[in-house]
Amino acid sequence: MKVRSAGSGDRAGQGSLRAPFDLDRAIARLLTLGTYLSVLLLTVGIVSMAAAGRWPLQSPGVPGLDLARLPGDLAAARPAGFLWLGLLCMIATPSARVLAALLGYLRFGERSMVLVSVGILLVIAASVAIGLSGSGAA
Amino acid sequence: MIAGLGLIVGGAGAGLFGSLLGLGGGVLIVPMLTLGFGMPLRDAVGVSLVSVIVTSSASASVYLQRHVANLRLGMTLELFTAFGALVGGLLAYLLDERTLAGLFAALLIYVAISMLVRHDPRAGGEGAVADDAETSDDEEPPSGGRDATARLSGPGYRIRHIGPGLVGSIGAGVVSALLGIGGGLVKVPVMNVIMGVPLRVATATSNLMIGITASASAVIYLVRGGIDPSVAAPIAVGAFVGASLGSRTAHRIDLRVLRLLFVGVLGYTAFEMTRKALLL
Repeated sequence: MKVRSAGSGDRAGQGSLRAPFDLDRAIARLLTLGTYLSVLLLTVGIVSMAAAGRWPLQSPGVPGLDLARLPGDLAAARPAGFLWLGLLCMIATPSARVLAALLGYLRFGERSMVLVSVGILLVIAASVAIGLSGSGAA
Repeated sequence: MIAGLGLIVGGAGAGLFGSLLGLGGGVLIVPMLTLGFGMPLRDAVGVSLVSVIVTSSASASVYLQRHVANLRLGMTLELFTAFGALVGGLLAYLLDERTLAGLFAALLIYVAISMLVRHDPRAGGEGAVADDAETSDDEEPPSGGRDATARLSGPGYRIRHIGPGLVGSIGAGVVSALLGIGGGLVKVPVMNVIMGVPLRVATATSNLMIGITASASAVIYLVRGGIDPSVAAPIAVGAFVGASLGSRTAHRIDLRVLRLLFVGVLGYTAFEMTRKALLL
């Protein structure tokens, strides 16, 4: 039985026979899912924007991101709701991929890659924090 | 309506080129939006980062499925590129438009020249994803030790010079966030030339990494209102179509022709960006 550990590039783990789980393929599926979902939402947003007779770069533009207003925009099928949710999904997909890798490496007990994954997520979290702290001034 | 269609087509072209050449496509999108649609450069960078994420996710899923990308190496390097991107995202709000335009023009010239002079796929040219660079299959495989080098190496190649590779990754992150590109322009040569990663693996791994690099800085642009969703959406949808097509047809395309075409486009946009930097 051919058993693959975390990542095809891993030589140390290939022979470890820990679990019949292919992390590369699992992450590939997650990326595909995230991308398709985002593109679907963005497409719905573009079509509904066009149906409302609005086009890119027109003034006034799409209202800014307001998380509190997002559910209402989606419920009312407003273009801004789909566009913002699609963008949020798109931007979150790489982070979701890192989270999935973190879980995979935890499962394989690979401490160094767990630390790397946590480090990446911390940098992303710092980006969000810095962005939020500077948003009032921007 | 024409603007919307133009953005979708432009995004598709950038996604196709980006996927084929291991780039995010930002080198085309930023000039297209600033020169073609009159967007401010910083807004164009924000939109471009979204398309870079699309290109990365769409391409990387295929490359991971086929086990071409090296997940371990990519994640280790992207820890450093993400940090660089965080720094670059902050710097971008401190620099004026002319400086950014000048930096972008310099970047385009660098890419165009490096693509012209590097014909050997092992020499680090980015425009050779279709060149099968897994020519090191006959090299001695890693010993299987538990050291970092062995862990990050792949079948048929052994990673070297990890330290310089990590420093180069930070630089790639800064450049990415400042100019709205994926950073593949730096990452691919760093992995290929400095770290000894076969070009095909380096290109695929770069495609994987640029998503995180771009998202680290895209978050800052998003929260600060630097991304217009009505522009980002058509660009992203177009980039998705182009990147999907590119990653599935990479092995069938003669990239020598593509590379020359790409150099021509880069040369023209470098000229226009230089004018923008000097005349703004």
